[in-house]
Amino acid sequence: MAIHFIKAGLQTSIQDGGRRGLMHQGVSTSGAMDSTAMAMANGLVGKAQTSALFEFTIIGPVIEFSQSLHISITGAKFELTLNNLPVSSYQTIQVKAGDKLNFGKRLQGARAYMAFSGDLLFENKVLLNVLGSKATHLTAGYGGINGKAIRDNTKFSINFPDIESQVPLRNIDHRHVAHYGHNCFLRCVSAPESSLFNAAQQERFYHQTFKVNPNSNRMGLRLEGEPINFHRPMNITSSGLIQGSIQIPPSGLPIISSVDGQTIGGYPRIAVVISADLDKLAQLAPNDNVIFVKVSQAQALTILKNKQQQLSKALHGSATLPIRI
Amino acid sequence: MSNNLILKNSYRIVENGDSAITLLFDLPPSEQLTKVIMQLSYLLKCRFPETPGLSELIPAYNSLTICFDPLGFSVKSLKSLLVELLQEDLTGYVYQASLIKIPVCYHQSLAPDINFIANHAGIDVQDVIVKHTQPEYLVHMLGFLPGFLYLGGLNPELCCPRKQVPKLSIAPGSVGIGGDQTGIYPVASPGGWHIIGQTPLNLFAVGTEKPFIAAPLDRVKFVEISLAEFNDRSEQVR
Repeated sequence: MAIHFIKAGLQTSIQDGGRRGLMHQGVSTSGAMDSTAMAMANGLVGKAQTSALFEFTIIGPVIEFSQSLHISITGAKFELTLNNLPVSSYQTIQVKAGDKLNFGKRLQGARAYMAFSGDLLFENKVLLNVLGSKATHLTAGYGGINGKAIRDNTKFSINFPDIESQVPLRNIDHRHVAHYGHNCFLRCVSAPESSLFNAAQQERFYHQTFKVNPNSNRMGLRLEGEPINFHRPMNITSSGLIQGSIQIPPSGLPIISSVDGQTIGGYPRIAVVISADLDKLAQLAPNDNVIFVKVSQAQALTILKNKQQQLSKALHGSATLPIRI
Repeated sequence: MSNNLILKNSYRIVENGDSAITLLFDLPPSEQLTKVIMQLSYLLKCRFPETPGLSELIPAYNSLTICFDPLGFSVKSLKSLLVELLQEDLTGYVYQASLIKIPVCYHQSLAPDINFIANHAGIDVQDVIVKHTQPEYLVHMLGFLPGFLYLGGLNPELCCPRKQVPKLSIAPGSVGIGGDQTGIYPVASPGGWHIIGQTPLNLFAVGTEKPFIAAPLDRVKFVEISLAEFNDRSEQVR
């Protein structure tokens, strides 16, 4: 067994680039909530950006390796140690049999990712794609390992770890590493029902600091704050609900749809988070502050283009590290 | 009045974030409208068969949501494409609709809320079953959960507001009523609908060739089965 989760962490699951083209059957996209962190982790072990990897939430795992492998850790910052010595994220790490990796205190963000060289096997079987992806949908119970979070004392093996091959050890330049504070600005553009909200409701939405409710998950982020009250209920017909949609249910408290969110929704949407900011949803921890900022479609596009350029630079410009003996 | 005449004056195309637009018809849900929406969805799929392109086409009662890659498409070009398509004849959607019979056991042990629905409607439990099994429901769309069918045609007498406090977990296969809708929970889920029975069928058969039992425009009929039959068929499914 190559990767032994002695402790699994609070919510650890297998994710990848997710599912496309199935929302009309009720199947959400799923996959890594922070797609940039996923792309970087996979890039560091020489894999395609959307390859399957582990996603950790709030509390990370304790892992023992029993085989030489390349791994990389990205996303939320933890006090990481390898055999009790500090080790950095955002670089290729060479581990060998007997090495113990420990995720200590969480310092920043909410979700971390660990990629690995080779193909993951569970109970000696290669993980199968379910509807085109290995991503785990925890609420509906499919994908990954029988649709479930990884438990303590779970063991995986690895085929073709390629440790002898020419995959260079690299790191991501610190300028390309995201920092996650406790205040998060989410930029938004309009949603189908935006115009149904009056000036006072818009004002309340854009001019307050919401707090992330601990009852948030991969389906959606629930926010707390001053409710956006309705004078009379807004009855709308259910329609397609996409990632980043900010719904206002009768409670008046926003819910932001995320990767595992339902595909059809019936609450009015006040705005939609821009594509470039969806990764930020992954890194919101309970009680973090959220402020919504309205931008134009043109701005959203520019921000997205810049973000993609940065990612491409980060992956291609990642510096080769000297080989550690 | 022809389809297109009605359509021409009754739609809006609205922005839905920076990577989707939604075509909304200001018309009540109907079989005709679902046909038009499915035909549009089909035409768009034909124009852009490859991904990346239009990554998702999500039909709903009176809308079609189109997700696209903002680096490959512009909202403007998609809008004009939709306007162009809406000029075409959209009545020709070819789909061999099936009638899908879904066995449901309405036994008290699987129907925790059937008495509530009966009281709410002012009828007895047997009448709830009769009124629920009588119609041929139209599948408008799938969504919410994988394989969840949005059905049209619930007898207005059975309509009942959702629970104030949703139940934390509802068993897969549970058949419920919420507002003016009836449906089946395909997977375990929290939910606010009143549960009046359970089907032994698997509505989300992961890992099989045909994971979903129905598609938009199919018809569904609930057929009452006994508890013994339910238990029998549940074992076969598992």
